[in-house]
Amino acid sequence: MIDIKNKINSFFIFNSNFGPKEGEELKRILFFHPNQVTPDAQKMQVGLCEAVVKFMTTFSSQPCEALQTQTKRYIFYQPEKSYWMVLVVRIPYATKSVTTGGETKDVIEPSVMYDLLVSAYKIFRMFIGPFKNIPNEEIYSKCEQFFTPYIMSRNIANNISNIIQGINYLPLEKNSFFKVMCFIDLLEINYPEFKCISFVYNDQLIWNGLATNDMLTLYQYLVQTLLPKQVEKEIQGGAVTAAQRHGRFISPSDGIRTAEDLQKLHKVYLMREDDTETKQYYLVIYRTLSATICFTVDVNTNLNIDNFRALDAFIGPQLSTIASSISEQCTLHALQNAQLANSEHKFIYFNRLNLAYKTSTPVSSLTPSTAIKPEVLSIIAGIHSDRKSLGNYGEVIIKTPDEYWIAGKSSNDREFYVIIQDKNANLKDIADEVKRMCEDQMKGIFFYPM
Amino acid sequence: MAKFCLKDSDKYYLSLSDQPKRFDADSPVTNVFFDDTNGEVFTVRSGGVTGVTVNGMDESKSTSFRMEDKGPIISIKFSPDHKILAIQRNIEGQNATVEFVNFKDLVPTNVEYSHTCKWKNSKILGFVWPRVNEIAFITDHGVELLQVWPEKKLLKTMKATSFSGAWFSWCSQSNIILLAGNNGALLQPFSLNNSTINKLQKLEVEWSRPIVERDVFVLRLCGAPWCALFRHAHASTTGGPTEVWLIPISGGGATQHVLKTGLVGRFAVSVIDQLLVIHHQSSQTSQIFDIMEESKPENNIVIHIPVVQGISMKPAIVDDQPCPMCNWVVFQPDYIIDARLGCLWRVNLILSGLAHSVPKDEISKIVAVLLRRKDGKDTIYRILNQLVSEAGTYLVELTKAFDEINSVYRKWADLEVARNTAGQAGLSRAPVHFPVLVSQADVCAHVLQAHADDERLVQVVTAYLASLSRHDMVVQHPVAELCVRTLVTRGAGGRLRSLVRRGCLGDARPLACQLLSLGHIDPAAAQIALDMMWRLKAYGEVVEVLLSWNEPISAVGVAKQTGGIWLNIPPRKLLSAAKHYAEDKNEPTAFMAVYHALVARNERLRGSPNFLKGDQCDVYVEYYKQLTSES
Repeated sequence: MIDIKNKINSFFIFNSNFGPKEGEELKRILFFHPNQVTPDAQKMQVGLCEAVVKFMTTFSSQPCEALQTQTKRYIFYQPEKSYWMVLVVRIPYATKSVTTGGETKDVIEPSVMYDLLVSAYKIFRMFIGPFKNIPNEEIYSKCEQFFTPYIMSRNIANNISNIIQGINYLPLEKNSFFKVMCFIDLLEINYPEFKCISFVYNDQLIWNGLATNDMLTLYQYLVQTLLPKQVEKEIQGGAVTAAQRHGRFISPSDGIRTAEDLQKLHKVYLMREDDTETKQYYLVIYRTLSATICFTVDVNTNLNIDNFRALDAFIGPQLSTIASSISEQCTLHALQNAQLANSEHKFIYFNRLNLAYKTSTPVSSLTPSTAIKPEVLSIIAGIHSDRKSLGNYGEVIIKTPDEYWIAGKSSNDREFYVIIQDKNANLKDIADEVKRMCEDQMKGIFFYPM
Repeated sequence: MAKFCLKDSDKYYLSLSDQPKRFDADSPVTNVFFDDTNGEVFTVRSGGVTGVTVNGMDESKSTSFRMEDKGPIISIKFSPDHKILAIQRNIEGQNATVEFVNFKDLVPTNVEYSHTCKWKNSKILGFVWPRVNEIAFITDHGVELLQVWPEKKLLKTMKATSFSGAWFSWCSQSNIILLAGNNGALLQPFSLNNSTINKLQKLEVEWSRPIVERDVFVLRLCGAPWCALFRHAHASTTGGPTEVWLIPISGGGATQHVLKTGLVGRFAVSVIDQLLVIHHQSSQTSQIFDIMEESKPENNIVIHIPVVQGISMKPAIVDDQPCPMCNWVVFQPDYIIDARLGCLWRVNLILSGLAHSVPKDEISKIVAVLLRRKDGKDTIYRILNQLVSEAGTYLVELTKAFDEINSVYRKWADLEVARNTAGQAGLSRAPVHFPVLVSQADVCAHVLQAHADDERLVQVVTAYLASLSRHDMVVQHPVAELCVRTLVTRGAGGRLRSLVRRGCLGDARPLACQLLSLGHIDPAAAQIALDMMWRLKAYGEVVEVLLSWNEPISAVGVAKQTGGIWLNIPPRKLLSAAKHYAEDKNEPTAFMAVYHALVARNERLRGSPNFLKGDQCDVYVEYYKQLTSES
């Protein structure tokens, strides 16, 4: 908690139905972070939220979303009935807040906080299941086990990769894509128990076999939690060892070598593209070079270590061939882009239907970009979270007091934002520039003309 | 290793023609001759006195007649037009003479004459008819090409070349004579084309022993003449089984082929559908070799092994009895004669037999072989269909088979393009032979469509698309349509969208329309469909789509981008959509915006803001007035 400005003040989950009687208030708190906060202080915080949430129901059928005090901002999220997740960040407080308006901009954007809650819940649900399915006596420990490391690992900040929750797809030439597809097909035919649900290269998605929403959750788990740890391990390990070249199972984290290791496989609740409902699966993750593939195996399958060994022998060499050919292509692509994308303007693209997300500054969870000013991001986050502002089809151009122009465009379920820094431009210049960038960067994509 | 077996296929890949041509069997009073140029059997009874019967595969050319017995016959052949019969007899002191009889409607006239070759003391080894009214005498002194004037009963020498030969081999398809000089140590080919004799480059064979007649065959394969030489163990320095060396005749530096038979003994050769068939006498098996198979020459030599394992020919039934093979005599290119039974057959290739027992990893090779056969298509379809049905086992092999098909198609398409662009210059080049072309429409109609219920169709279709992509072929509509249908019905919409997004299916209007129609179950499909229409510049369609999506303002925007549409679009359509939108969303300004845009258009178009009577926009003019009066 050194960086008080950006870090989470507290994060808790409560359900008022768990300890309805007086004196049982602590029972209502399923999880509280940080846990060194005294029970009384916990009770106070939760009690305040309970009251606010309850109070708000008088005015609206919609659940309460946020509460802001002079020093704190509370964001509420009710993923299941009566289960509330609350995230609290501290607002840097100054008495002269009106005159020094610039400083308060550093506060985390509410939409970013809300997204954090949503993705925390979704990852929880993916691994543990919905709250309501967990027996009362287990829920405290389950939450503790899951959320403590999760929250500790989360770095919450206004960042270009945070303001819109999307998936970064890897642009790939069609023959390479076919290589990936045919490899997956062959694998699934030879090992029918295993179903490939995702193929990720570095932190970019190539193939997804899940329903779109679950994909985002899994993708975020991979890119934000699992892979950074893995990459760190690989870097610490020095040169890539022979085993890593040929690939290995990275979930469970120690790999799969013996039959006992199979017991450590994570179980997840997911909905595959061809499923009609969420089902429980074993999650198997395999990695070679920079390529990571995830499989689901039905939980009712009798796991057999020989199958896993055979799978390892099958995937290893093939995947490393594919990974190196993709890597070649990426290098080529990067070279071409380096020549091409010398535009001084930044853009963000988001497709609501496949959650594709693209920015001018390459986003990577390992190298967060600080190139865009927080207030600009906050404006974009605002446009993005308030769908009505642009509607299905619309365009807005905003000028900030400090020479930034922000253009937002929405059309055919896509969003496109451009950030231009130009003191002397007029509205027409900006509109033309946005149009030009849209044509340059989004070739082949149809934006309704204005 | 598990072997692939084509369903309903026989293990035999060679058979004899169903009904043999019957003729009088060889006997003390009957002599049988075969003319391989015309493919006819001559049965001469009692030297011709009791009759000569000519039987060929062509029923209309069969005949019988009588002639005088002027001595034992060595060779008897019709000219190609069956108007002259040439007979060579074994009469002391007349070694260099050939007799001729003119025929009319396959009946002998009494016009008879004879001709002695220019080297009076030479011995005629044989004679051939290179073309109508041209005959060549091959003697131990050389070759003489003569023109025959049947009406004048005389022959005129056109060209003669001296060469001291011991025996010769003749290929009627190429009109090439190979003469063996120096007791078989020197092989000299001559071409008898264009009414002249051309001495071709002699064949360089540096074998330790002279070559004997029965080891040499001149044959035509893949549009070129070849000399097939059997190199037996004793002739080679290394020993081992017999090899067949195929040496190009007149081929300069062309590639030689070595066929590894793996057998020893006596052999015969047939050529069927550009395949070389090697019959092995003692095992009574026949191997086939395809010299067009993909290969890398080393030292200008390509080594081949049999396409499939050797097997005997399908047993022939003659007079309800199985016919023993031991008396068969093989003639070029594909005749087989049993003189004792009096049967003439042709050898047929049963293509499905090639796929009867194939190691898994050679399936694609068989498909490649079939792609080079005249009637290979049906068998290819059968193989593909079976592979698709069992895609769980054969996906890799199926992919390779698709690659073979597409690579042939690609080569053909490239040549067509080259031919069309190069014009005359391109035409002069030798035409390349593409007996089987399997187009995308063919694969759809004959293979994929029949498997609508197969478990692995999604993977199969993907494999096919991948193969097309590898060969840089544009996905044609039937495939794209089938792909969309398959993927959507199998719940693989995500795969479909990925394929479209990554450009794997290629942009096309029908595909865009198909994707658009999926919009109600899959909004993402509609999104990419609209992108595709935009890329295809199908602006009219985009306008219609946007109107149907209740987006009149955007529709106007698109229409305005393309002058043609904007000036010609019926205003009523836009206004009606705008009114609907305005009322639906409670945004009267939307209607007004469209209205104003159209009024401005009228002004520009006709100098007056009013709508034409034919536009039938009165209702909307009223509506506009109503809106403006309210506000």
